[in-house]
Amino acid sequence: MIEINNLVKSYGDKKAVKGISFTVNDGEVLGFLGPNGAGKTTTMNIITGYLSSTSGSVKVNGHDILEEPELAKKEIGYLPENPPLYTDMTVKEYLNFICDLKGVAKEKRKNQLENIVAMVKISDVYDRLIGNLSKGYKQRVGIAQALVGNPSILILDEPTVGLDPNQIIEIRRLIKALSRNHSVIISSHILSEIQEIADRVVIINRGKIAAIDTISDLSKRLSGQSKLLLTFRGPVKDAITKIRTVKGVSSAVSRVVDSKFSQIELTIGASDTTETRVGIFNLMAREGWPILELRSLDPSLEEVFLSITSGKGGAKS
Amino acid sequence: MTAIFKREFLSYFRSPVGYVAIALFSFLSGFIFYSQFAVGTVDIASEVITLRSFFVVIVPIITMGLLSEDKKRGTDILYYTTPVNLFNVVAGKVLAAFALYAIMFINVIIHIIVTVNCGGVFGVGAMGTIIVFFFMAFMYIAIGLFASAITDSQIVSAIVAFVIIIITQLLGTIGDYIGSAFTSILSGINSGFAQSVGNGISKAINWLDPFLKTQDFRLGIFSVSSLIYLVSVGILFLYLTFRVLDKKRWSQN
Repeated sequence: MIEINNLVKSYGDKKAVKGISFTVNDGEVLGFLGPNGAGKTTTMNIITGYLSSTSGSVKVNGHDILEEPELAKKEIGYLPENPPLYTDMTVKEYLNFICDLKGVAKEKRKNQLENIVAMVKISDVYDRLIGNLSKGYKQRVGIAQALVGNPSILILDEPTVGLDPNQIIEIRRLIKALSRNHSVIISSHILSEIQEIADRVVIINRGKIAAIDTISDLSKRLSGQSKLLLTFRGPVKDAITKIRTVKGVSSAVSRVVDSKFSQIELTIGASDTTETRVGIFNLMAREGWPILELRSLDPSLEEVFLSITSGKGGAKS
Repeated sequence: MTAIFKREFLSYFRSPVGYVAIALFSFLSGFIFYSQFAVGTVDIASEVITLRSFFVVIVPIITMGLLSEDKKRGTDILYYTTPVNLFNVVAGKVLAAFALYAIMFINVIIHIIVTVNCGGVFGVGAMGTIIVFFFMAFMYIAIGLFASAITDSQIVSAIVAFVIIIITQLLGTIGDYIGSAFTSILSGINSGFAQSVGNGISKAINWLDPFLKTQDFRLGIFSVSSLIYLVSVGILFLYLTFRVLDKKRWSQN
């Protein structure tokens, strides 16, 4: 369990983190969400002891990171944004070095490393130089490094950045598997990624907490702002007035009109997407306007901030 | 500490650095020994003292990457986020550089064996010089480690170490200059007084010259105060290195 209390970090007169408080419960996956420069990495660096806070406290399983740093650090496995890898070592040498740093006893080491290597699936590159590995493998070695010493808490800073789609899926799967025995804090600036993995989400913006919410509450809150993208062939004005009459549609705005093919792209504000989609389909079918595309638009992080900070939802903690 | 030591020491041999340093030292010491041997008068003490002036190149080579590379790679984060103590990090790195240095020194031991076998003399003076030489190496390595801590560029670190070491080697000349400058400034007041002030200042600065600390040993005198001086300067720079690393965490910019 991590308790973070009123954390402040200032650089000169600029404040990177302005009073953040939240707790991470045992066995929970907490998504840490915010745009670039919001203070995610700074906060994580403070939790792990890499930086010291200007004020405020961090307690890891009851141990203050400043007063009992060695005990607190034993509980945490950290994967920074750039995995701390020695490119001139093989994976095996590197993980043994990390065991030395974290003080893993010799007799436990073999067993523990075998488990970790099997879990993150790096056995086929175990004897290769880290410098020669692909980015995906490097990321896995970084996660393996965090797992050494059996910490109860894992802190992963943007673990999927720079990976290709297949690797992203694999890393997500791995994190899900890890969350069975660990508390996990995972940061990201991609909303959908957090939604898939996390139980609860902390959204920060400009060094302040914008919202703390469970994923289901967050989705509920956001569904009010759902949007659909519709591309079809038909007359513009007529279509817009008719679409507005479909149940659940609150607005319809044309985005692109291609007069050559009489092709129209509309953004439709809708309260309940599934029902509305059926309604729109029926309308299009009745009128004989062929649908070229109909999909829901995921709210962007900016829209989430707007909706959260626009008073309606407000910060809930 | 042993973890850091092991990693750093082995990493000398994962890159060309270790080999380059050893080759350079072997070449220089071999050349000096050979030129003595050729004329039939071998003096191990003078070989070791001549090697001292090459510290200015050899020490930056072996220390430049010790901490700067960690910063560049981002691996320094491991020292802060694992239960390892920063003090142990500094100690492990110094020991690694010192061990590499000890390996380079095998050359001199070979020269001693050759000398003794050929009927040469390996006296107390030479033994003392070797002892003080190790202490001096420790001091210079500490300076090099400090230079490596303040930057994330190996080149900058090497240049800083080079400059600091060259200043310590020129302390005798610098002291004479500053002393005579004071003498000429003050000579308008009272020439006798000016002379004594100038000499005093020269003497004080000369006292700091690490080279002078080796002189007693060469004569066969075991000068504890010289060793204490060299160790103190070394420890001072190790402490500064530790502070630089620790400061990073508290940095406000």
